[in-house]
Amino acid sequence: MFLENIRTAITALFSNRMRSLLTLLGVVIGVFAVTTTISMGAIATAGITGELEDFGSQKIIVFTPRDKPLAANFTDNDIEALSRLPLIVQKVQDTAGFAKYDDKEIQLSLSAVSADTTDTKIARGRIYNEQDEAYASKVIILTQDAVQNLFDKDVDPLGKEITLTIANSRTVFTVIGIEEKSGGLLGIGTGDAGTIPLSSFYSVVPYAKKGEYQYLPMQVDLDVNVDDLVSQVKSILERRREKDSFSINTIKGLLDAFGNITKILQSILGGIGAVSLLVGGIGILNIMLVSVTERTREIGLRKALGAKKNVIMQQFMIEAVVLTVIGGVIGVIFAVASLYLIVAAVPFLDKVIINPMVIIMAFGVSVATGIIFGVWPASRAASLSPIEALRFE
Amino acid sequence: MSSVIEARGIKKIYTLEGGLKVHALNGLDLVVEDGQYAAIMGPSGSGKSTLLQILGCLDVPSEGSYKLAGQEVADLSEDELSGIRNKRIGFIFQAYNLLGRSTALQNVALPLMYRGTKAKERNRLAKEALERVGLADRMGHQPNQLSGGQKQRVAIARALATDPDILLADEPTGNLDSKTGDEILGLFQELHEEGRTILMVTHEEEVAKHCQKIIRIRDGVVERIEEVKDRQMATFTGDIP
Repeated sequence: MFLENIRTAITALFSNRMRSLLTLLGVVIGVFAVTTTISMGAIATAGITGELEDFGSQKIIVFTPRDKPLAANFTDNDIEALSRLPLIVQKVQDTAGFAKYDDKEIQLSLSAVSADTTDTKIARGRIYNEQDEAYASKVIILTQDAVQNLFDKDVDPLGKEITLTIANSRTVFTVIGIEEKSGGLLGIGTGDAGTIPLSSFYSVVPYAKKGEYQYLPMQVDLDVNVDDLVSQVKSILERRREKDSFSINTIKGLLDAFGNITKILQSILGGIGAVSLLVGGIGILNIMLVSVTERTREIGLRKALGAKKNVIMQQFMIEAVVLTVIGGVIGVIFAVASLYLIVAAVPFLDKVIINPMVIIMAFGVSVATGIIFGVWPASRAASLSPIEALRFE
Repeated sequence: MSSVIEARGIKKIYTLEGGLKVHALNGLDLVVEDGQYAAIMGPSGSGKSTLLQILGCLDVPSEGSYKLAGQEVADLSEDELSGIRNKRIGFIFQAYNLLGRSTALQNVALPLMYRGTKAKERNRLAKEALERVGLADRMGHQPNQLSGGQKQRVAIARALATDPDILLADEPTGNLDSKTGDEILGLFQELHEEGRTILMVTHEEEVAKHCQKIIRIRDGVVERIEEVKDRQMATFTGDIP
């Protein structure tokens, strides 16, 4: 009987193909929205985590607070004090300038990191070494974006001499390497930027204060607990500096913030999806009521031939559930397809993650929608009197 | 001879909006014996539709006793009545009432499905019934591929498939031309000769004259039961498309 009812339901739905399809649409959109948003959150988070893993380390950054412009810079002594912790403090300076090659000139953000603490990744060429640092060599590593904007396509930038203009003084630098581009959400290695040895920076930037740093980036191994380390950094610096004269940020903190934004977006979009499912459910309710009215005679006949109430109830419930299950299947298929498309189109997302629980949940919700919105029409059908239904005249 | 239908003092009272009570049946008595072939006639408003509904277990009387094949059914629940209809009654309607999207075979098998008969047995019985009404070659056809007479024969096959105690026909020839109608009456004749009990509601004297008896209803009671003297005989050829 159950199988017969499924067959009857499918026949009924197929005989009203257009109507069934339009009714499906609401459920399809709802399931699609819910499945896509939940999976997108997981995929984006994995993209960023993956980028960090590629990066090979975590970072803690200490800086002077923005609302305290007069707070003292960090010094070599601070770095010395921090160096007993399991981290590498990078000696970093940065400024902005112009780079010129042939007749092309671009604006360049310039950072200088000492050769012993740099973590710049090289795609081609080489990174500067201790020797470059010792002799304050005029060598530079450019980002791929800077290379693209500064050189013509057919020119190999490695070994070329470019002119840097910083604070009205000009110096010729040789390009020795091109930085790897992470292409990630964090934007490591993107934009028009160059990196030079720290000693070279001091020799070309007249106003640079040697041994003073506006901020201190620290490299931390992936397996180290960053939260513990942050509190240790904090207690060391608190002893050395005025109160509230520094702030600490971690990439993990950034990630947590990103995670929170993702969660908020997920709940908003998921909410929209849920509303769409509700609307889809009401569509099903509507169409089932119409269907019951249209088929009054059929219901009457079935009852006259001996169908009991629960059999009729079951028939119409199955029809509603079949409708929502088909909607759920189509919605999930669309969701999976568009997740693959999105991941293929967006460079910093590298793999499609679909939690089977999400799919199971999507189906569960579809079936529940069918049941919830099918009950009323089905019980109306079941309680029709066979006489009225048949108009026995 | 035992009686299939034994109705005693049947009353059916409808309350209209505003509280007005209408006595559709007014203490009606009726006994129909096994193997009888009878017509029910009466002017409109006489209560014959209500009677047919009650005899068909589609409705219950307000008062009185109704025994169908010896079983009291006057105070059964809706679902119990469904079971009784399925087991004991074969309905034949004026408008055939076939399921449009199902084949002849599926239509005939439908009441067997509600009885819980297994698919294989169901198909065997449905085929047998369709063969009985001469539609062995139309089993896979849908109603829209069948003529009016063929549709009514499918409906008769559906009524026969469950081997009921009584066939209840409501204006079975009402939608057919006289030639096709005669064909259906010929089929009824044969079924009657095989021992089936048939009750047929009609308003045409010509049709009623094919039966053994005519039960005349007026004002909610049986006015009289006539033996048909000049009984018409129709033959079923199965030829009329």
